[in-house]
Amino acid sequence: MSVSASAAPAWWDPDTDDLLICRAVLTETEDVKTFVFEAPGGRRFAYAPGQFANFEVECGGGIETRSYTLASTPTRPDRVAITVKRIPGGIVSNHLHDRLKPGDALKAQLPLGDFSTARHPAAKYLFLAAGVGATPLMSMLRAEDDLASGADIVFVNVARRMEDLVFRRELETIAARNRAVRLAHVVTGEGAEPWAGHRGRPTRAMIEAIAPDFRDREVFVCGPDGFMAAVRGVLAEAGFDMGRHHEESFTFGADASAETPTVPEDPAEKTWRVTFTRSGKVVLCDGTTPILTAARKAGVVLPSSCTKGLCGTCKSKKLDGEVEMKHAGGIRPREIEAGQVLLCCSRPRSDVTIER
Amino acid sequence: MLSRAPLDIPRLIAERRPGYSLAAPFYRAREIFDLDLEVIFGRHWIFAGVEAELPEPGDYTRLDIGHLSIVIVRGDDGAVRAFHNVCRHRGARLVTQEAGCVGKLVCPYHQWTYELTGELIHASHMGEDFDPSCHGLKPVHLRSIGGLIFVCMAAEAPADIDDLAAVLEPRLAPFDLRNAKVAKQVDLVEEGNWKLTMENNRECYHCAGNHPELGQSFNKYAVGFVPDADDHAGQAEAAAYEAQVTAQVADWEARGFPSVAVEHLSGRATGFRTERIVLDGAGESQTLDTKAACRKLLGGLTDAKLGGLHLWTQPNSWHHFMGDHAVTFCAIPLDPEHTLVRTRWLVHKDAVEGVDYDLDRLTEVWNATNAQDAALVELAQQGVRSPAYEPGPYSPLTEGLVDQFATWYVERLRAHLG
Repeated sequence: MSVSASAAPAWWDPDTDDLLICRAVLTETEDVKTFVFEAPGGRRFAYAPGQFANFEVECGGGIETRSYTLASTPTRPDRVAITVKRIPGGIVSNHLHDRLKPGDALKAQLPLGDFSTARHPAAKYLFLAAGVGATPLMSMLRAEDDLASGADIVFVNVARRMEDLVFRRELETIAARNRAVRLAHVVTGEGAEPWAGHRGRPTRAMIEAIAPDFRDREVFVCGPDGFMAAVRGVLAEAGFDMGRHHEESFTFGADASAETPTVPEDPAEKTWRVTFTRSGKVVLCDGTTPILTAARKAGVVLPSSCTKGLCGTCKSKKLDGEVEMKHAGGIRPREIEAGQVLLCCSRPRSDVTIER
Repeated sequence: MLSRAPLDIPRLIAERRPGYSLAAPFYRAREIFDLDLEVIFGRHWIFAGVEAELPEPGDYTRLDIGHLSIVIVRGDDGAVRAFHNVCRHRGARLVTQEAGCVGKLVCPYHQWTYELTGELIHASHMGEDFDPSCHGLKPVHLRSIGGLIFVCMAAEAPADIDDLAAVLEPRLAPFDLRNAKVAKQVDLVEEGNWKLTMENNRECYHCAGNHPELGQSFNKYAVGFVPDADDHAGQAEAAAYEAQVTAQVADWEARGFPSVAVEHLSGRATGFRTERIVLDGAGESQTLDTKAACRKLLGGLTDAKLGGLHLWTQPNSWHHFMGDHAVTFCAIPLDPEHTLVRTRWLVHKDAVEGVDYDLDRLTEVWNATNAQDAALVELAQQGVRSPAYEPGPYSPLTEGLVDQFATWYVERLRAHLG
């Protein structure tokens, strides 16, 4: 009897049930928390270590979609976890930090991505992580450690201060008992806790000091753009085979950008949320896409005709936010002063609320 | 069974007796009303409004006369144009509101989009063979004379509008009406045929008995009122007024304000009359105290005591331009027995309500007068419905200008019926 019940493990499948239930909220550092989720019905999770998934979060009167790496390891398939840094002003990260509690549900989609040791198997790895960029590398390290793969891993974990090092104790524990794992902390600023080790942005000298054999290693890098660019520069200059260099930007996809402190400050290059008050719908729109186009892609039907800023059919009241509008005469200065915009030729420069 | 014979309009016209009011069918019959729309309002210059209603590019007003609807719009080049309010696709009304502001003229039906010059600039899904340049809005003739908008819906508009322009432009120039604003617009539906509305306007026989407010400033001797020969007091009043007018007009003319009467009310397509009239009392404005109602004068005027420049145009308008404000009246036939009278009060565009003028004070005389006139027109309409009505004589002393109106009307019908 019991054999037949457990014969086919039930895997979590967002096509049939995309809800995840929060089971724990863990504090990693003062602004980083880990959220642990269970699938309904005790279903299990299958993914490659280092992959991310899109999560839908209801907040601010709408639904936000964000990509988060699963910091957990598929070798422990009963739960998944995401590790999230609180971004000042970030809508979703603040919502998660302040509101999400055990028992709450989020919707998620299938894990995705090729930034994984499973996709690039090697005997020796160099992981370079900065800030919450440690999450995919932590997933991979946990998997390699759980599986006792014997892979030789050098894990360089960079933070501004010692107290900001994410997963510090767990990394130290793994490195202390797994002889194949070596850990190097690097700090770039000054904190309360003294640090006599490596300091500053990665340099060739630093990398050579930490992993003299780095040329023999498969390299995985994750962190802010500036950090990844610095590593790329060092490796390329050192003649590293860049075919074995893998990096994961936290600006991947449009959805994560608003949460990422590393994106450029130009609002045209960010992704914004456009809220339609009458339909209650929320659409994500990057700064290069007209709001009408983004709405149409998201299935929000709005009146329109010429889509050239000419006929004014899509004229709508903008209740809040900033747009850049390049119309062709379909709207009058007085109407613009009164808060009207043509959605077909308006691109968001902030989160925007439209009376539609 | 009684059956009504078709109306013999040419005979009615031929039988019109000069110096007498019109026969009842002219005030009541649907056939004549339709003819009025076609001939009088369809082929003559009609007063349609003022440029001050359209201060900025994209501003429009709609004017409906019978089945005709036109939209008057200020273009991006600052020019005011008029078009038939009919989409060139399947004919839907383009503009549904009375007035507003648009970027382009866009048909609500399938979003055909027209430039404010009438050019069709967007029509989706019409295929490659479709030629937008053949589907521009149909234009309506428009002339702005000193900021007064006249339109003509005929293919060929009467050319004698030039005479009106030549007389009126210098008279209106000092008021700079294009830089005025409409302080108030009031629509009043009179329960009478449009010609009764116009006839009532063309005489002041009824003023003394009906218009106490207007009578404060408006002297009944000003427009065609001549006292009876045995009315010695009236004769003396008229003489005194005449003397005052002679002196005042000479002074105005000398100061560059053309004032003497110019009268072309009949015998031509575009009939009009204008004269600067001496106002009673302080002589400044048609207010209860005869003083200016708006502290900021029109145009660059510095003297409020300019009397009232009066203007009548056939078939449908009358106006008073004073130093501090102007009042324009536009009569639009609605059906054989209803007429819309649209009154607009204009002040300098920079005049501030509550500071430079009080809206009630500005409008009270003509609001009262319009209501009184509406009641009189209604009485007249009620009377002409009776079989006892027969055309009655216009006073040769005080109603000569009414007769001019009726004469012009009959002339125009005759001209177009051949």
